[in-house]
Amino acid sequence: MFMPPHDPKAEHQLLARMKSGDESAFAALYRRHKDGVHRFALLYCGSPAVAADVTQDTFMHFITQPNQYDPLRGSIGSWLCGVARNLARKHFSIREDATDPAELLDDSQLAACHVDHDGPLERVLRGEAAEEVRRAVASIAPHYRDVLILCEVSDLSYAEAALVCGIDIGTVRSRLSRARALLAQRLAPAFRSAKEAV
Amino acid sequence: MNPEEPVDNALALLRGEMQSVQAPAALENVLAARFRRQHRAPRPLLWWMPPLALAATVAVVSWMVRAPMPSAPATTPSTTRAVVDDGPFLALKPLERIALEPGSTVVATEFPRALLADWGLPVSPDRAGEPVRAEMLYSAGGEALAIRLIN
Repeated sequence: MFMPPHDPKAEHQLLARMKSGDESAFAALYRRHKDGVHRFALLYCGSPAVAADVTQDTFMHFITQPNQYDPLRGSIGSWLCGVARNLARKHFSIREDATDPAELLDDSQLAACHVDHDGPLERVLRGEAAEEVRRAVASIAPHYRDVLILCEVSDLSYAEAALVCGIDIGTVRSRLSRARALLAQRLAPAFRSAKEAV
Repeated sequence: MNPEEPVDNALALLRGEMQSVQAPAALENVLAARFRRQHRAPRPLLWWMPPLALAATVAVVSWMVRAPMPSAPATTPSTTRAVVDDGPFLALKPLERIALEPGSTVVATEFPRALLADWGLPVSPDRAGEPVRAEMLYSAGGEALAIRLIN
């Protein structure tokens, strides 16, 4: 949904032109991916200001290090999401030192640094219900949140999400399942209210 | 009802709402400027050589134009006479020939007094080793035509 239709041949041609200094090729790639990257950053960080910084830094990285993108390892869009994810995690100083699915099975077992205590509290979306869902997503531990955003909102494949997060596909599946369960748990009161209203 | 349905609906709602979110418009100009800086043609290794050569040339030409020119040597004995008037020139060659010389030059010089004897002038043996200052009138070919001793 967030990512533009994947057209590797055209994108790689643009990338080659961009690497040789063609500004119009960079502009085309930027316009193609800017919103997807920004939406991912916004959902991941929960703050429009931080998301704007992360988006800018992501494309700065793209300008200065375009050779880091490996066409054999997914689309440019998913690679940019990976860069944005790393920059966002750096911004919040989140360490990826607990990657064992068993250890991550329950939020209660997460180290304090794995949960955003600052909590993205500022309002981001206009719609009340959508904002409530966004806050519920933001309240999930980052390990689950990034998989949930990448697979369910940004529409990346499990394989692409695995590359972005540096984990295997099985871990993506288990984290996504857990993330959905946590989201259902966070939204349960809202679901109940809606059911009673009906 | 499918237990996953409420979560699917919530995520669909979020996806729909996020479609209206766009990256800040100002970013594009910032990034385009950064891109241009990144791909600006690199300076050659010795980029400073041409401006340095130009500055050096200007300095040298300026010095040549503004520096005081050395005064031209006098072409006849009469021009130096006003400055140094220690007596008449003694002709070392016939006067007719001296008068016909087109480009004679007066040169101040110093030489051993004994050299005067070569031109038939009197020299005291006691002072033969002393230097003597004189003005020489030379022809354009470098031949000594006349001499005037300076005290």
